[in-house]
Parts: sequence; C-alpha cells; structure tokens
Amino acid sequence: MDAIRTEDLTKKYELGWHKGRLLALDKLNLRVHEGEVYGLLGPNGSGKSTTLKLILDLILPTEGSAWVFDVPCRKVSSRLHVGFLPENPYFYRYLTGTETLEFFGKLCGMGGVGLRRRIEELLELVGLQHARNRRLGGYSKGMLQRIGLAQALIHDPKLLLLDEPTAGVDPIGSKDIRDLILRLKGMGKTVLLSSHLLAQVQDVCDRIGVLNLGQLIMEGDVKTLISDQRRLSITVQDLPEAARTRVEEAVRAAGATVISVDHPQTSLESLFLDALKRDQRGAGQHD
Amino acid sequence: MLTKALVIILLFATGLGFLPMENSIRAERTRLKYQGARVTYELREALGQNLAIALLAGLRGVVADFLWLQGHTFWEKREWLRQYRDIEIVVTLQPQSVLFWDLGQWHMAWNIGYGARSDPNNRTQAEGIKREREWHRKARDFLQRGIENIPNRYDLYFMMGMLYYEKFSRDCDEPPCRDAFCKAAEYFARAASFTNAPQFVARMYPRALEQCGETEAAYAQWRLLWFQDHNKVQQAWNIIEREIRQLEDKLKIPDNQRVFPKNKPPS
Amino acid sequence: MTELANHRGETTPSPTEVQTPRPAFAPVLKERVGFSVSRVWIIAGNTLTEAVRQKVFNFFLIIGLIFIASASFFAQFTFGEQLKFIKDTCLGVISVISTLIAIVGTAQLLPSEVENRTIYTILAKPVRRIEFLLGKFLGSLSLLTISIAAMCLLFGAVLFIKEQGMIRELRQEFTQGMPASDMADLNQQIRQVPQETFDVNLVKAVLAELMKATLVAAITLLISTFSTSLVFNVAVPFMIFVAGMLRGAAAEVWADRRILMALLAVVPDFGFFSLADEINMGNVVPWSHVGQILVYGVARTVVIVFAAHLIFSRREI
Repeated sequence: MDAIRTEDLTKKYELGWHKGRLLALDKLNLRVHEGEVYGLLGPNGSGKSTTLKLILDLILPTEGSAWVFDVPCRKVSSRLHVGFLPENPYFYRYLTGTETLEFFGKLCGMGGVGLRRRIEELLELVGLQHARNRRLGGYSKGMLQRIGLAQALIHDPKLLLLDEPTAGVDPIGSKDIRDLILRLKGMGKTVLLSSHLLAQVQDVCDRIGVLNLGQLIMEGDVKTLISDQRRLSITVQDLPEAARTRVEEAVRAAGATVISVDHPQTSLESLFLDALKRDQRGAGQHD
Repeated sequence: MLTKALVIILLFATGLGFLPMENSIRAERTRLKYQGARVTYELREALGQNLAIALLAGLRGVVADFLWLQGHTFWEKREWLRQYRDIEIVVTLQPQSVLFWDLGQWHMAWNIGYGARSDPNNRTQAEGIKREREWHRKARDFLQRGIENIPNRYDLYFMMGMLYYEKFSRDCDEPPCRDAFCKAAEYFARAASFTNAPQFVARMYPRALEQCGETEAAYAQWRLLWFQDHNKVQQAWNIIEREIRQLEDKLKIPDNQRVFPKNKPPS
Repeated sequence: MTELANHRGETTPSPTEVQTPRPAFAPVLKERVGFSVSRVWIIAGNTLTEAVRQKVFNFFLIIGLIFIASASFFAQFTFGEQLKFIKDTCLGVISVISTLIAIVGTAQLLPSEVENRTIYTILAKPVRRIEFLLGKFLGSLSLLTISIAAMCLLFGAVLFIKEQGMIRELRQEFTQGMPASDMADLNQQIRQVPQETFDVNLVKAVLAELMKATLVAAITLLISTFSTSLVFNVAVPFMIFVAGMLRGAAAEVWADRRILMALLAVVPDFGFFSLADEINMGNVVPWSHVGQILVYGVARTVVIVFAAHLIFSRREI
C-alpha cells in the first residue's frame, strides 16, 4: 500500500473577476511508499504547499484525486494516521507546552493517563521538558518547531507531513530535526517533507520529487540521482607526494582523465557543530 | 460562488418562512401592550439625536429614566413647563409604567400646582388659585390617559381617587366640594375591587362615601370590611372599629343592631 | 555505534542502529470518524480559555461592572424610582455589553485562526469542519454566558444592598406608641420591599438578552466564514443588528409594502428580545411569550449557523 497516492491532481486558483485562473498544480501523479522519507522539492510557488493542503483537505482539487493509505483525502478518516507540521507553525500563545499537546491529543480522541504519558514521552523526545509549563508565547522559533513536531506525533501517526521543517531554525536545531526524521523512519513511519533547503533534504530523504510551476519535473532515488556514474572518487590517507604522481599516471594510462586532485572538504555545518562541541568539552575540563 | 448564492437563497427563504412566527409574536406583543408609542419624527426631534439612537438600540427604559431625571432637575429649578414636557415624553415612551403616570400626576397636581399658586409673578391671589386649578385639571386628564393605558391595576384608580379627595375637594367656591368626594369614592371603589390592592385602599372608599354625604353607604361599607375573616385578612381593625362606632352613634343605630353595642368596650 | 561516512567524510547515524524510543502508549483510534460532541467541547473550551486570557474581554466586562455598580447613585428619589433606575440601567448595560462581546468576540474567531495558521494544525487532525465551527461558536457563547452571569451577580448585589437599605429606612420609622394600624401598614410595606426588588421576572429579561446576544454571535460567525477583515466582521453584524432593531418600526410604517417587508425578513427582529422595559414597568410577561421568542431565537440561530457551515465547509484554508 502506498502511504500517499495522487492521480492527475490539479489545482487552479481563481484570480478574481475576469482575471482567469492560476494553475498551481498540474496533473500531479505522486506515490509515496510506506516507510520511506520522500522529499518534495521546488522553488517558491512551485506547488509544494498546495500539494500538502490538497492531501489534508484544506483546499479542494479542481481535478483528480488523492488517497492516504487508500482512504480518499476528502474523508476525515484519511487524517487519522497523518501528522502535520505546517511551515512556521504558530500555536495558541496562551497555552503552555503541556496544554498544547493535551489539546491536540484530546482532538485525536486520546485522554486520561495514556495521554499524559504520551505527552511526557514527546516532550522528552523533542527536548522540551524544561519548558513544559511555559506559555508558547515565550517559546523561541526552534522551540515552536519542536512543539510542532510533538503535536504532529501526538497520536503516533503512520504518515508525517512536514512543510519546511527546518526553515528559520539554527544549525543545531536543524540537525536535531533531521536526526528525529531518521529516528521516525527507523520506527517505520512514512515522512513527506517539503523544503527548498536542498543540502538538508539530501541527508535524510530516500526519494525526492522536484516540482516546478505545478509540474513534477524529476523524481527518483536520491543517491542514484545525485551520483555521477561516470566519475569515481577514491579518498586516500597518508599518500606521499611522489606516489601521488604515479597514481595520476596510472589513471591516464588506463585511459581515464584526472578531473581534480584536492583535499576533501567538510561541510560548514559540521565545522560549526564540531566547534561548539569542542567548546563545551573545554568548559567541562575547567570545572 | 455557487455555495454563497445557495446560502443567500436559504437565508431569504427561511426569512420568509419565519414571517408567520414573527407575526404571531407581534400580535402577542400588541395584545400585551408592549413597547409604547411609535418613534415618530416629532418624538425624535423632542429627544435629540443621542437619545433617539439609544431608543432605537432598545434602551427605551434608560432613555425614559434619563428624561425623568432631567425633569427632576427642571423641578428643582422651578422650570415646570420643561418638566411637564419631559413627563409627557416619558409616558409616551413607556405608557405602561405605573410609576411615571403616578408620579407625573403627583408632580403636576401637588408640586407644580403649588408652585403655580405661590409664584411671586402672580398678579393676584385669584390668579394663583386659577393656575393651580388648571394644573389639577391637567393632572386629572393626564391620569385619565394613564388609566386608559393601564386599566388592569389598582394604582392609578387609587391615585385618581386621592386627586379628587385631596385636591378637587377644595377646587370649588365653597369647599369642601361634595361632588369631588363622590367622584373620589367611585375611584376608590374601583381600586379596592382589585384583589392585590393594599388594605388602606379599601378604607378610603367608605371615608370618601361619608364625605360625599352617603353616610349609610359608608357605614355599610365599614361593616363589610369588619366582617372579613380577621385571621386571613391584614387590616387595621382598630381603625375600622373606631369608624364603625362613630357612624353607629351618628346614625343612631339601635344597640341590638350595632356591631359594637354601647356597653361593649373597644378591642 | 557504527557510523557511515558520506562522500564528504561526514558521518550520520545509520538508521538501523539508532535507538528509537517506542511509545509507551500506542493510541487505538477508531477508523470511522463520526461527528463527535466531545471534540466540539474541546474546541469550545479552548476558545473560552483564549478569550479569558485575552485582556480585551476583561475590559468590556469591567466597564459593564462599573456601570452596574454606579446604578445605585439615586438616593434622592423614591424607592420605586430608584429600583426602576437600577433595573433599567443594569439591564441596559447587560444588553449593550453582551451585544459588544457577541460581535467583537466572535468576529475574530475564524479570521485569527486562519491568519495565525493555528487552524491548519487543527483541521489536519481528524476533526470535521462542522465540529470546529460549532466548537468556536459554543466557546463564544460560553464567554457570553459567563459575562452575563458576572454582570447579573453584581446586579443582584446592587439590588440586595438597595433592598436592605430600604428596609432599614422603613424600620427606622417605627416609633414608641405607634398606632397598630400604622404598624400594620409599615409592616406591609417592609414585606413588599423584597417582592418589588427581586422580581423573578428579571430572569426572563436576562434570558431574552442572552438569546439576543446568541443570535448576534451567530450572524457574526456567518460573516466571518467568508470575510477575513476584522473591521468588516464587526461593522456588518452591527449594521444587521441595528436593522433588526428597526424591523418593528419598519413593520408598522411599511406594512403594505410586501416585497420590501419580504426582503427585510432575512434580518431577525431583535426588538422581540427587549423584555427588560416591560418587566421593569411591572407588565405581565408570560412564560409562554418568553418561550415563543426563545424558540424564534433558537430557530433563527440554527439556520444561520447552518448557513455558516455551508460556507465554511467549502472554504479553502
């Protein structure tokens, strides 16, 4: 069974009197397999949010249909197994973290001791135990994102829809969210995440689809798509300078071309995180 | 677009469907005499813009109270015509208010009337008396309108009786004016016929009858009052006994026919 | 823990090796999602909590309470006059404040949810749009009921203070050697004071005001299902309210203009709910009449909320 399936899903927005319609999504045929992490990519206005809203029945399709675990999206029961984290989530400012999760849990039919235990688990999972009794009006952006994830998980859904989950979040928060997505995948959950931060998507997604102007222009396995089959990269360590010349000559002798020879680079993100880690360890040594 | 059109049709159709219910409610309100007079152009002019708005917002009682307070202020300044105008507007707004009819006529007959008589601008004493009597008549006509609006309560009949008993009884060349007391007796009888009328209302009827010259009728009425069940009825029995004794002496009722024989001590 | 290196030499934990916390509670959710009254109440409770924690409604309420408390400043008038002033003023304040709360409180319910996007997370759950709409509406009604109850409590306290003051004044008129008849009259007056002060018919007036406010809230809810402007959502219901108050006068003046009257019929006649004046004047207000107007109010409210549901169920969020 596919977690998400769309057939010729189309959305046209009315622009007003005599102004025609805007084609936001054009006959989208999408299949997200159960248990995978699927990245829906595209520039602003490509139709990513429209796709998510159509799946959640927040807007009506002009043509076509969508199903979640074979239940038509127009039915309320299709959302029983769906958790959604909207872009820049905003919750009720006057509710505390615990009250927020309690509210959403009750909406999903949960209650009593079970709900309270679930809230404790989720607060621990997203690292917000210390802020459980603080009103959300006092949360930072990263904290709001984390409580958003927690409410999306409150009823232990099989499918998670994450709209720009790391937008506006600092590198530490981004890494935490990415790690969490991988954990959820390990738990057998399906994740559809929409983003335009390509580097972050690359690390977590199994498959990606690229939308542009409402059409799916590319889709496939991440590793297959991004690997250049014609080129081979061999990373060596402690190679003397003299041996390096002989390796290059061997490559040319085999009829191949040496494209580049340079030192591998770490990512700015890893550099940043390592620096912070070293700094904390340094602080510990002084205690 | 289609949905909005359907909703508009639904609202108009159900609006028409509600018309019979609304007409029924309006008929009931008319039967119960709710809401007072129409908001006419003249009323709106008399009220001014702010009060007219408050009136249209459903605050009829508040507007009437405000005008009553304003009228009270005019009374304190002895601007009686302004007070009279406010009284008239108030009862136009709330014609079912016993309080406004009652106190309105009291202001006219007792306060404004006295003020008119004692006005230093009067050229003669006769002019003062004439002005006072005009206010008595105004009060009577005013109260009569009140009774026409509220015929099912004792209050205004009683006040009309008191108006005749205390004011009109002196408004003749040779007071006391017997006709006024007879008129008062009629109104006291009407007031006393209401079951919720207080005890003193019932006592005023035979008093007025006696002043009217109908001494025997007054005596009969006092007897009727006395022979009510003393355990069930709250009355000033000592007053009734005193009046009966006096009338029995006045009418020279034989001892064996008296309620209170001469040798029976007062209770 | 084995870590895999990517082509840049960075490591990420292998998914199969990550320690994943199993939920201690795995909720059992029914596959069929029927209409749920409890979901409606959860949303209603949340709406009420939001309204209470916002300061603007406290402001309205405090203004109302101040006006009610000030109603007792008419000591130079007769007891009957004072009672009438207090009752007219207090019920007038309740009428105005409850209408204001009904409009302002309901006008921003849906638009703020859409603007703040809190509606996304709610409707992404297995929640029907009708449950959401009813929940918001009932939350608004709860706020109205609590506000009116608070004002009525203070109203009752003011009446009680006035009643006790009046009884004290009357008792001071008792003198030594007073004739029995005068004592009887005085005692009768003292007995009448509570009856005149706490007329049980006041409950009818309050019920009518609550019904009126409910109907105004329903109209505001309907407007807010298709309009996103707060100013529009406040101004239009207010204008409809004024038109409704004028319907009685219109019915008298334009009785023969059937088409116009038919068009005006779309607006409820709010004048029906103004029972305070009649009660304060001592007019008879039978329960049958109160029942009639309550049925009218409930029926109108149901139609309007249904219309709101028709629009909201098709609205694109």
